[in-house]
Amino acid sequence: MAINIGSAAPHDAAQDVLARARARAALIPDLLVQARQIANTVTSGWHGRKRRGSGDAFWQFRPYSSGESMARIDWRRSARDDSVYIRDQEWEAAHTVWVWADESPSMLYQSENATVSKQSRAFVLALALAETLARGGERVGWPGETNPIAHRNAAERIAAQLSVVGPSAPNTRQRFDAMRSRSQAVLFSDFLAPIDETLEDIAGLAQRGIRGTLVQIIDPAEETFPFLGRTEFRDPETARKITFGRAESVKSEYATLFQARKERLARRCVKFGWHHIVHHTDQPASRALVALHLRLSEGAGELTA
Amino acid sequence: MTFGALSFASPLLLAGLLALPIIWWLLRLTPPRPREEVFPPTRILEEIGKKEETPAKSPWWLTLLRLLMAAFVIFALAEPVWNAPDQPLRREGSLLILFDDGWTTGQDWEERKGTAERLLTNAEQNGQPVAMIYASDGAKADVTAQRAESWNSRLSAAVPTPASVDLNEIASKISDTAGQFTSIAILSGAVVTAGAPELKTALEASGADEIAVYLPTNAPLALVGVENTPDALSVNVERPAWTGMGPRIGTATAYDEKGRSLASVAFTLNAGEPSTVAQFKLPVELRNEIARVGIDESKTAAIQLLDERFRRRRVGLLGGGNADSQQPLLSPLYYISRALKPFAEVREPDGGDNLEAIKRLINERISTMVLADIGVLPGEATRELSDWVERGGMLIRFAGPRLAAGDDGQLVPVELRRGGRSLGGTLTWGEAQRLTSFGESSPFNDIPVPEDVTVTRQVLAQPDIDLEARTWASLEDGTPLVTASQRGKGWIVLFHVTADTGWSNLPLSGTFVDMLRRLVAVSNNSVAADQARSSSAGVVENGVEPAETLPPLQVVDGFGVLTNPSSEVRPLATSGPDAFVVSRKTPPGLYGSQEAFVASNLFNEIQGLERAGAEDFPAASRMLSYMEKAPTLIKPWLLALALILLALDCIAVLWMAGALRFLTPAAKLASLILAAWLIIPTHPSIAQTSGATGTSDFKYSLRTRLAYVKTGDTRVDTISRKGLQGLTRFIAERTSLEPGDPVGVDIATDELAFFPLLYWPISIDQPVPSEAVMARIDAFMKKGGSVLFDTRDQLSGGFGGTRTSGEVLKLRAILSTLDVPPLEPVPENHVLTRAFYLLGIFPGRYLDGKLWVEASQLDEESASQRPARPGDGVSSIMITSNDMAAAWAVEADGSPSLPVVPPNPRQRVYAYRTGVNIIMYTLTGNYKSDQVHVPALLERLGQ
Repeated sequence: MAINIGSAAPHDAAQDVLARARARAALIPDLLVQARQIANTVTSGWHGRKRRGSGDAFWQFRPYSSGESMARIDWRRSARDDSVYIRDQEWEAAHTVWVWADESPSMLYQSENATVSKQSRAFVLALALAETLARGGERVGWPGETNPIAHRNAAERIAAQLSVVGPSAPNTRQRFDAMRSRSQAVLFSDFLAPIDETLEDIAGLAQRGIRGTLVQIIDPAEETFPFLGRTEFRDPETARKITFGRAESVKSEYATLFQARKERLARRCVKFGWHHIVHHTDQPASRALVALHLRLSEGAGELTA
Repeated sequence: MTFGALSFASPLLLAGLLALPIIWWLLRLTPPRPREEVFPPTRILEEIGKKEETPAKSPWWLTLLRLLMAAFVIFALAEPVWNAPDQPLRREGSLLILFDDGWTTGQDWEERKGTAERLLTNAEQNGQPVAMIYASDGAKADVTAQRAESWNSRLSAAVPTPASVDLNEIASKISDTAGQFTSIAILSGAVVTAGAPELKTALEASGADEIAVYLPTNAPLALVGVENTPDALSVNVERPAWTGMGPRIGTATAYDEKGRSLASVAFTLNAGEPSTVAQFKLPVELRNEIARVGIDESKTAAIQLLDERFRRRRVGLLGGGNADSQQPLLSPLYYISRALKPFAEVREPDGGDNLEAIKRLINERISTMVLADIGVLPGEATRELSDWVERGGMLIRFAGPRLAAGDDGQLVPVELRRGGRSLGGTLTWGEAQRLTSFGESSPFNDIPVPEDVTVTRQVLAQPDIDLEARTWASLEDGTPLVTASQRGKGWIVLFHVTADTGWSNLPLSGTFVDMLRRLVAVSNNSVAADQARSSSAGVVENGVEPAETLPPLQVVDGFGVLTNPSSEVRPLATSGPDAFVVSRKTPPGLYGSQEAFVASNLFNEIQGLERAGAEDFPAASRMLSYMEKAPTLIKPWLLALALILLALDCIAVLWMAGALRFLTPAAKLASLILAAWLIIPTHPSIAQTSGATGTSDFKYSLRTRLAYVKTGDTRVDTISRKGLQGLTRFIAERTSLEPGDPVGVDIATDELAFFPLLYWPISIDQPVPSEAVMARIDAFMKKGGSVLFDTRDQLSGGFGGTRTSGEVLKLRAILSTLDVPPLEPVPENHVLTRAFYLLGIFPGRYLDGKLWVEASQLDEESASQRPARPGDGVSSIMITSNDMAAAWAVEADGSPSLPVVPPNPRQRVYAYRTGVNIIMYTLTGNYKSDQVHVPALLERLGQ
């Protein structure tokens, strides 16, 4: 009997995914997320706020005014003249990045040309990103699973949480609701759910002031449609079936539709100022990670109020 | 159920064809199972799917394929048979088979036999008792029913009888067994034979429930008589007559004694015409060669054999005076023999008196005796001669002075006047008389009367009342020139002139030749036949008169082929009531001795043959025809076809499911080629070698190459190749010889002439070459090539050692067909020890084995005095057991392949040196041994 082109891969163990993610993450430099809108949080981070605050970096000397804590007087500077100076540090704040990978059954798909399933790739990318961000001191959270964690082992903790809970506890909408506003979201998915729902979700997030990046993970078979002859297609989520006598005859039509869908998603992202990254599972994971890195770190260091 | 030649054993199963429409309907409804694919973006496809109509039906060709498959299977189950055998006879009760094996059955013998076999097989399967009678058995026929299989051996040995059969005895046998058999099958011949009415009566009275009569569809043609007329050899062709005979054409062919075809003539039998005549219009000389005439289309015993009666005549010549021999070119006998020689065998007794000569000639079985101018013969000679003439001899006499002087009045056709008369001379009245007419009844009848033949002298006949009748040629004045009279079976012919030109110019004319030819043709060889009879006087048969039989020489079998007589054949009676009767015991053929035989033919005259038909058998009998072709079972073919269709269906389904897309184009091509290779049986290897021979020969002839014999043992061959490569490299480095790459030769097919030396390792697994191959090796060695045999078994005894290893036995087997000279171990002063290097030992991989070469023929004394043994030529055979190639063998990087035993690097060097010496020896021969003479030669030259 004919060998099928695609199959549903089993779930990867979270620890295994973590190890692979770490390996990927080790390849790229620490990631500083560009943050135009940074949540007003006291958590220290490395994003200079161009204002006085708690932090490590020197910001200014200013004359001591009474009532201030004596401890903050910079005695070395004050000794140079008669005034007493206080040393101010720049307020450095950590940014919150929500990392989320789709766990729907369609993500388990892996075709013969792909090395891993989409889900596996998505988790690896997500955890790798989390690892990188954590190394950069960002707060990383997985909506619905963990609150934002600002710790170097954030990725590990997320992975641990994922492995405990297992995939698909709350649904997608609930997870998105768990994201706090004024944060970054990096969403890994194939976005094969009905496009209107997806766009609605994105719009909701954008309205809450969340800036996001969509990483659309596509299996090569979904892009190239290599099917020939009489084929019955089965949707892994809805288990609906459709049969074509000659699958090759619908190839071009399918490609058009699929492309249109991608473009629609991309246009909507541009509209919201989001990023849209397309990643194929037959490409190396690091490629997507580098692209993400570029997108997230572009303009890093700029400060906008 | 039968449709033409096609019939079904289980026709009811054909009803299954009715199911085809249902199958068709089902197949139409059941599409092929699709390939199932998990595909996440199925939603997108659903958007498309609304637009496209998915074919829910199988493609029409797939349905057709499957329907055909089903139809084939149904047809196959119905067991169709092509040319099915006739409806078998009744399945119970006893069966009587009457097998006509008369002369007509040679034509379609196999069909008859096949029919009989089928009848027997059917009876065997049904357990019916069978009695089988052969028509030729006659009274000896055994009408006892036995188990059917017991008749098989007799049937397989049966052959057609080359004689007519008589059914009278059979008929009475059958009437004796009336009521005993329930079924009677008659395998009839083509013609109505003697006793057919009796048989019909007997069959009608037999009380059998059914009678099946097999009749041949074609009646054979028969040759029923041959006649050698002066112009042509004519044979009568007859066919069995029946109402509604159509026209028929055929070809008769004449063969000589050795069976070579001499001539063929076509003949036509018009519609309704039972017989015709075919004529071989050939020169007499060629006609005399004819020994047998047969009909191409007919394979029966009805051929015609020709014996001496139709042959070239043997003519004895006897002259008158002794003086004749003094002027041989003017003697009468000279004219006669010149005239006779083209068409007759002329015998002239040398010396001896007339009586002796006549006796000898008669003993030589001449058919014609020519007496030239002999007057009176001794009484005994006269008696001998007249006796011979009585038996059929033809005596031709020529007149002359002696006959004119007086005759004995016995051996002349007419009474002669004493003394001749001369005409046209100076002292005569009349003019020379011309030949004017030939007698109406004479053999000369159709010779045109020549204008220029004149007679000046003749002997005259006494006027007589019979004279006119006895005159075969006469002159103008009515006087006879040739007279003849019959005596007994023979003739006496008298030319009233001499056989030379003395009395007439007749001997100079062509008419003379024609006349003699006619005379000789008239003479028959019954005399010779008589001789044959009398010569077989010694044969004694029980109850038969001894002198009246002839032993069989060669007989005609039922297929019209001359064969040696079997022990059954009895001598042929030549007199009495059974004279020349053709029967099973005395089949047609040649009887007598090699020198004198009589041909006995099946038919000598038109027989009035009648073709056997339905009316010759009881009205109730069923008429069947012999099966021309064996039945062919179609079932296996249909099933095979169905299987092929099934395979096609599988491929089609796979293709529709898209499975074949996994094959890369290369894989598709490969599978196509594989399929083609499986289907088309080819012999690529043979084609390859034959194609390559020319170029490789060309290549080998351009450069000297070392060669080894491919043993078929891969390991040994690899070592040989590597070894010779190593040696080649060594030779190229150390000597001026630069051999090409070594060659592995197949001694059975490759040309060996290009190689000075063949290295032949002996492998136990190697098959011993055939004698033809060893003959090639022998030729190679004899023409200057050398073969180095290597038994490679020094460790286990070696060649010439005390123990005999398997390799040595194999070597012995190989050499057993070769002409091997005496061998000796290489002596100390052999050229091999100094052909290039000075060597005392000849090691290979092993150290101690000796190298054996042809023993030199020189005696020891002179040999020991010379520094190098002379001796021309190169030893064509060398035998070692040291496994030379293993020591020479190198890998591609130049490192040795195998260690030497004992592991001494020096030994390998010596092994190479041995190789160099052997090559130099084979290439230069005794050149080195001649070199020892150089100082002496230079000295002689005064330098």
